[in-house]
Amino acid sequence: MLRKIVDLVTSLKLTIVCLAAGMALIFVGTIAQVHLGIHEAQQRYFQSMFVWWPPEGRGFKIPIFPGGHLIGAVLLINLIAAHAKRFRWTWRKLGIHLTHAGLIIMLAGGLFTDLFAVESHVRLANGDTKNYSEDMRETELAVIDTTGEDLDQVTAIPEGVLRHSRVIDHWSLPFRIVVRSFYQNSRLKMLSRAGEGVRPIANQGPGAMIAVQPAPRAIAPEERDVPSAAIEILPKDGGSLGTWLVSDALGAPQTFACGGRTWMITLRPSRYYKPYSVTLQKFTHEKYAGTEIPKNFSSKVTLIDPERSVNRDVLIYMNHPLRYRGETFYQAGFQPDDSATILQVVHNPSFIAPYVACVIVAAGLLVQFGFHLVGFSRQRRNAIA
Amino acid sequence: MNVRGFFESARFCSLLVICPVLFAVVLTGCEKNSEIKVYRVSKAPLEESASQQQDALPTNTAAPRMPGGLSPAAETAIVTPPNWEPQPLSQMRQASFLVKGDNGAVADISFVSLGTGAGSVLDNVNRWLDQLGQPPITEEKLGETAQRLRTSLGDVIVADLAGLPKNADPARDGRIVAAMLSTADSTLFFKMRGNADLTEAQKGDFIKWVAAVCNAQTETRSPQMLAMPTEEAAAPRIKWETPEGWTEIPPSSMRYASFSASAENGDKIDISVVTFAGDGGSDADNVNRWRGQIGLAPADEKTVNSQITALKTADTTFATTDIAGAKARTIAAWTRRDGHVWFFKATGPSAAVEKEKPKFVKFIESVRF
Repeated sequence: MLRKIVDLVTSLKLTIVCLAAGMALIFVGTIAQVHLGIHEAQQRYFQSMFVWWPPEGRGFKIPIFPGGHLIGAVLLINLIAAHAKRFRWTWRKLGIHLTHAGLIIMLAGGLFTDLFAVESHVRLANGDTKNYSEDMRETELAVIDTTGEDLDQVTAIPEGVLRHSRVIDHWSLPFRIVVRSFYQNSRLKMLSRAGEGVRPIANQGPGAMIAVQPAPRAIAPEERDVPSAAIEILPKDGGSLGTWLVSDALGAPQTFACGGRTWMITLRPSRYYKPYSVTLQKFTHEKYAGTEIPKNFSSKVTLIDPERSVNRDVLIYMNHPLRYRGETFYQAGFQPDDSATILQVVHNPSFIAPYVACVIVAAGLLVQFGFHLVGFSRQRRNAIA
Repeated sequence: MNVRGFFESARFCSLLVICPVLFAVVLTGCEKNSEIKVYRVSKAPLEESASQQQDALPTNTAAPRMPGGLSPAAETAIVTPPNWEPQPLSQMRQASFLVKGDNGAVADISFVSLGTGAGSVLDNVNRWLDQLGQPPITEEKLGETAQRLRTSLGDVIVADLAGLPKNADPARDGRIVAAMLSTADSTLFFKMRGNADLTEAQKGDFIKWVAAVCNAQTETRSPQMLAMPTEEAAAPRIKWETPEGWTEIPPSSMRYASFSASAENGDKIDISVVTFAGDGGSDADNVNRWRGQIGLAPADEKTVNSQITALKTADTTFATTDIAGAKARTIAAWTRRDGHVWFFKATGPSAAVEKEKPKFVKFIESVRF
């Protein structure tokens, strides 16, 4: 039995099937970007274990094709397994082994980057200081206990949990959150302007005066969904504090009291807090004289890290990012009126993998061709002798 | 064991280890965005006060903007009380402060600027009352309690609301002093919420700060804005002809204008002109509020709409209604124009209102925007 499994995992047929499936997936996923947008297509086709198909009007989904993660993982396992099974150690094959090891590291690095890299951004106006970055796509329901003297306790509930869970019961909260409705993308209107018969989905806070209308998913790269939800707060000792509208478009947090503590709730872009801060000193946007063609963007920031006693100025510009504590700050954009800079923040634990892989592959090829060159020289010398 | 032997004996072990580990990694990665996280963040940026943070900056760097959101010139023009501690700004807050009092009492102060569709004063006051666990109030009640603060940006409506929500901490809640101003392109909200005594003690400073912020905003208008015609107040000016026999009386804080008319038997009729930014709520809501004031039960939207008639004037078209209770009667006309809603209302004993109705109609017809 084990032998059969090993034969299957190491078979060349599996490699061919994975490569063919990968080609088909790339073709279909690329076409799907027309209707779904780049981000959604990447999520559905490439950054998933399976491609799912939801039958019309049904509440379930069927996996219809392996997703990018599954194909990549199987391909990687197949490569490692085949290499391990057929491995025969000789010095003459050192170059081949090194080259394959480099390829495996490159594939694994790609997969790890896809799985664990986090991209976010920081928007800073001149003089602004921030110690967190915000996700460009994901949102979270932040439930903040503001009772503390100096610290706020934040319970951050990801959008995925809101979307899939009916009731959220967490140890950090003295109440349960019941998700009455969730809109992936929505438009908010004052109730008085929403037309006849439209009812609010909330009965507390400003949501009681607002109508929520579902909207199609944002597919353009520069667009962003505006998620909204109606959540009911049920204290664990009984009763209900009413239903609240939370929305990325609503902005200001809403406040209520429960369990003798004061709470704020807000649906906001997911935040990644850092033990250091960046302050924008100056954003520069140079254009070629007499034109609107950009010549250079740069952001002069001050990096302050109390833990490491760091306090220094850094100039971030194209191809010259700031790398600090495993995160890289790239100059990504700016507000149309140059009033603020937008820095992309990338946290990628496996960012070193491609560099290591390239060095190993290069070394392997050098060794392999070196052996051939030496062998060829010897043969030639012997032939002459 | 030679090198070859070592690698060959390890190859199946590697299969058994690497494959499950890779699958585990893939599954773990797929779950990375589905965990509820709990963490603590400082109320102040990086656990330092604003002044400490500025001190920490090298001398060749610009000081961070505090409070953020206000224009730099406006910031220099506003002096905040020393006991107001700047707080990190949220998505909507353009200024945020915390005041600490005795025995753990605190009050939270914020300044938020929204667009023109931010609801009427009454809607917002009732929302704040709701936050304090209090029932909503009527437009008349609001008119009696709200204060008007004159600034160069326009008249600011100031409401002082008290109430402790259920389960709330009295050290942190119990009173809201809020100020609201509508301009042509925005609605400004100033709010102080916290311990009732501390909020009362800070009210004077809060109102001074509101006035300073509004005045500074006007002073720091961009050249383009200065070139534009300026509004003297939040509400645009309108004109009318006051009917004979009506006496203009000083308006209350919420009224744009007030008149009084006397019937022969001494009955008084109260005539009011009220304006709000926005649309002022639905017609049904407003008419039902007026019905309640004269002791009538609310009517459904269809009934209310059937009792509304249009009155076309030289300038605009008004919606009008005439509702009579057992003793009192209200005739009202309203119109929505340039981002504001205007209510004209006459209330009094039924017979007196009937007699004054032609004058009221003439008054409405004389209104010029």
